[in-house]
Amino acid sequence: MDDYLDIANSSYFYLWGGIILLVIMVQAVLFIRLAWKEGKRIGLTGKRMLQGLRAGMVAAVIPSISIVIALIAMSGSLGIPFPWIRLSVIGSAPYELIAAGIGAASMGVKSLGGEGYNQYVFANSAWVMTIGAMWSGLIVFFFLKKIKKQYAKIEKKDPNWMKIITLAAFFGVVCIFLPQPIVAGGVPLITTVTGAVLMIICALLIKKFEIKWLREFALPFSMVGAMASAVIFTRILA
Amino acid sequence: MAKNTSTLNSNEIFESHVHRIGRITIFTCIVLALFVPVLIWMIFGIIPPIKPLIFGIINVSVFMIPLSIAEIFSFYPVLGPSGIYISYTTGNISNLKVPCAAIGMEAAEVKPATKEGDIISTIAMAGSVIVSELILIMGVILLVPLSGYLKDSVLNPAFEQILPALFGALGAYFILKNYKLAIVPLAFGFAVSMFTDKITALIPVCVLLAILGARLFYKKGWVTAE
Repeated sequence: MDDYLDIANSSYFYLWGGIILLVIMVQAVLFIRLAWKEGKRIGLTGKRMLQGLRAGMVAAVIPSISIVIALIAMSGSLGIPFPWIRLSVIGSAPYELIAAGIGAASMGVKSLGGEGYNQYVFANSAWVMTIGAMWSGLIVFFFLKKIKKQYAKIEKKDPNWMKIITLAAFFGVVCIFLPQPIVAGGVPLITTVTGAVLMIICALLIKKFEIKWLREFALPFSMVGAMASAVIFTRILA
Repeated sequence: MAKNTSTLNSNEIFESHVHRIGRITIFTCIVLALFVPVLIWMIFGIIPPIKPLIFGIINVSVFMIPLSIAEIFSFYPVLGPSGIYISYTTGNISNLKVPCAAIGMEAAEVKPATKEGDIISTIAMAGSVIVSELILIMGVILLVPLSGYLKDSVLNPAFEQILPALFGALGAYFILKNYKLAIVPLAFGFAVSMFTDKITALIPVCVLLAILGARLFYKKGWVTAE
């Protein structure tokens, strides 16, 4: 029964994950270098670009820890290197688990790592997750230049509208997620409200007292504070 | 006039570099990722029976192809071309790349949808990738001894609630910034959440509605670009 986990945890896949990681790191460094040069050309100071870099890196810490938690949750049924690779390239945890489930269900197996989940079911999960995640990358590879031209037309017509469209798109993403914990009630609701209140406090501090460094920490602070409130309220409500 | 032309050319050179780096790296990663199930086949000789394999692939593709197209369209104005390449190489877009880009632009005091904003968000997102991959590596290294331990610890509710924490904070941030733009998508978000918690497929719909609402408000002069 544990057969497939021996395969899933074999050193070949750790090695393969390392190779993929290398390509991702090269991409990140190349984009930073390219953007940095272009920034200098159009008159951005190194200091401001460094502020942006630092803020992006700091903001990545907490969400990355949540990805590690997803990795821990997935490793029980899919081994360690495979979820690591899937979460590093294109994927995100909810999608990957759905895809792995589709792979298992196609073989008539209900739960990941549960009864009947042998090496063939695991292989099917692996194929379905990988090919499902491939589409968005392929679309970007083949069509991104064309999408760009469509948006370029809009931009030439009305740059103000482009700014609004960007903000509106941000709102759209946030607003579909935001009501879920609020409607769920209980600890998720309390956590959401705490996150929002802490962000408002940070915004007030930044505005009233001009604490500029707080800009980089407003999101992590609000999130960690809200998460701490989740621990406290889980204990109170239990 | 001569100066204008040279600026335009430099912009185009920059963009062609973005596409070249992006396309080479994203294609390499797609091929390398595809090799994972191929390795299961080649090294261990394990390939699933053909019928469930094809069935699974069709099922996941029917759901992923339209979702990906709509998602790429809706993320394009948020992330820009370089951001799209970075995001679709490494994934975790709405929970990692989008907030990191926003916070990066906020810290460097540049506006989204400007050239400066595009450059800063590229730098911030690429930086977030490096940090996130390193943390993931540390996670892999620490995973074996810690796995049974963390899941049962008192801290578990904190990690479970990371998304409510994130979107509470981000929601407040955006509503403080321009609450009128939140009216339409937030109404839709609440209406939907009454009926289902499977919202992944509705992200593109909500983004589209937010943009249509913004268009209406913009035409009527109710919202301005600061």
